[in-house]
Amino acid sequence: MSIITISSLTKTYDGGGIEVKALRGIDLAIGRGEFTAIAGPSGSGKTTLLNLIGGLDHPTSGALSVAGSDLNHMTPRQLSDIRLNKIGFIFQAYNLIPVLSALENVEYILLLQGVKKNERRDRSRRILEEVGLGNEINRLPKELSGGQQQRVAVARAIVSEPELVLADEPTANLDQKTGSSLLDLMHDLNHQKNITFLFSTHDAMVMDYAERLIRLSDGMIISDEKKKSGRQSPVKKIKKKK
Amino acid sequence: MIANMMETAINIKTFIMLGWRNLWRQKRRSLVVILSITIGVVLMLLQIAIMNGMITQMLENNISTKLGHISIAKKGFFDDMKLESNFLPDPRMLDRISKEKNVVAVAPRVKAFAMIRTSEASRGVIVMGIYPDREKNISKINEYTLNEEGSRYLDDPSANDILISKTLAEKLDVVVGDKVVLLVQDEDNEMTGVGLTVRGLFQTPVRDYDNGVVYMGIKRLQEITGLKDNVSEVMVIVKNKDIVDSVKPRIMKSVADDDLEILTWKEMAPFLLSAIAMIDKQMIVFYFIVFITIIFSIANTLIMSIMERFHELGVMKSIGTRPSQIFFIIMFEAMNLGAVGLAAGVVVSIAAVNILAIKGIDFSLFMEAMRQWGAGSVIYPLIYVKDIIISIVVVEFTTLLAAMYPALKAARIKPLEALHYI
Repeated sequence: MSIITISSLTKTYDGGGIEVKALRGIDLAIGRGEFTAIAGPSGSGKTTLLNLIGGLDHPTSGALSVAGSDLNHMTPRQLSDIRLNKIGFIFQAYNLIPVLSALENVEYILLLQGVKKNERRDRSRRILEEVGLGNEINRLPKELSGGQQQRVAVARAIVSEPELVLADEPTANLDQKTGSSLLDLMHDLNHQKNITFLFSTHDAMVMDYAERLIRLSDGMIISDEKKKSGRQSPVKKIKKKK
Repeated sequence: MIANMMETAINIKTFIMLGWRNLWRQKRRSLVVILSITIGVVLMLLQIAIMNGMITQMLENNISTKLGHISIAKKGFFDDMKLESNFLPDPRMLDRISKEKNVVAVAPRVKAFAMIRTSEASRGVIVMGIYPDREKNISKINEYTLNEEGSRYLDDPSANDILISKTLAEKLDVVVGDKVVLLVQDEDNEMTGVGLTVRGLFQTPVRDYDNGVVYMGIKRLQEITGLKDNVSEVMVIVKNKDIVDSVKPRIMKSVADDDLEILTWKEMAPFLLSAIAMIDKQMIVFYFIVFITIIFSIANTLIMSIMERFHELGVMKSIGTRPSQIFFIIMFEAMNLGAVGLAAGVVVSIAAVNILAIKGIDFSLFMEAMRQWGAGSVIYPLIYVKDIIISIVVVEFTTLLAAMYPALKAARIKPLEALHYI
């Protein structure tokens, strides 16, 4: 069963009087629990596609359904609710709220959802422990390393157990070791919680991890390859050998 | 809609906390705004306190010299102060009035136009015939009598003594112990003169009063004018000036005489009420100045703050924060700014008013103007709870008004646009 269904999706921008066709008729279906990467060079349309799936932008034409909701015909308020309840976001630049601690950043989503205080605290703490930040919960983002901040961002994205997590170049600002361990984490979460992950990336390591790799070029899908299972990180392999 | 508001209400604590923390991200900028609000509030409250002091003193001084709280006189006396508008106060009526609830003192007076003359000069005055002892509970003329150069208050209602103001004494070139001639019209409209000794000098805070009023014993004045036991008016003092309207109907009942007229100080001196109304209007100007200061500083700060956090607000919207919630976060940020400035302003103002009220503020430089108003040259500032409530309402209302535009702007941020804005 698909969590994302896209057909004939196009997106055209007005680039100062010149029409820029970012997406030129995308047809795609992503199943529940998939760990998929959308790859392609800069300007290929991968971020545009992710933004449309996340309800952050409107398509020029075509149909787009996420978690059973037709995003084409939604008000900003409805889109806001879909983003809050069904989709988790991970950004390239972490984008944590700087005045909130790690725990409060994670808790923020549950707060918006109206979850009661005690439950909010417990769930946020638990998830931060799962991402390996049990001892850093009261630190502000500026007191955390890039890798730690991105882990908080992952915790924030999954704390409400969304059906889909969209990650826009999540490893782009991280070194290889940190990026790899973050991918391990997301891979584990994907398997344990059956959360669908959809990445946009041009990082070969992310492509390697993905169980399905969709390549975009010039706003069109040029390949869609399903692998049996994503590669494990070299770090994890070494640990297992020991 | 209601569900939406309920959800928002649940999150209010967090939004206030977010607003509070965001406020201190730019400490120096926030402190400058807070300081400007504080200064605005202090200036506004001090101005109000001085005006309150002035109004109170103006009223008290006018009441404690010429007006009293309630006056009973023959019909027409208040419009045209003629000696023949006199009446014989019924002792039972006076007894009934003094027993009325909230009545503190009752005393008769004789009032007449007169001419005071010395070898050097002459002046037209109003002569007040009083019972020196009973007058102590009616007016403050006893307290206003100076204790210098042998000056003392009257003691005998039948004596040939007169009490004049220091100003008048200078104009007439007399000192305590000198003789003056008082010319008054008697009941038969004949001019009659009597030689009186200046027993004392007084100085009230009301300039006109000093220029034009003299005091002597009521018995002696009744004798000169041929009024026998008749009086011009009966003065009534009640517990405080603000209850005159409720006491008046009961006094009217006790008097029960259609020939007599009963007026409160408000009716006798409508000019005082219009002066207060004018001062109140001036206050609006001060509120407006504070209003403008706050509007611009808050709006400016918030717009800058929102522009700096454009990306961050976009992230918040991307992860599911509703526009209405963004709106509240910005509004709370403004409310926090206003509340801190307001609290500091109120504390400083109360402290300043209390310190200044110990010795009063000396406005001697503007002595003549102040005396003309009857307020006295030293003003004791006064602040009421209602003034503080008004300042809280003005500041918070203004703050919220100023925050509306920035908050709406923030609420309308398009998440995608903001995400690309670094």
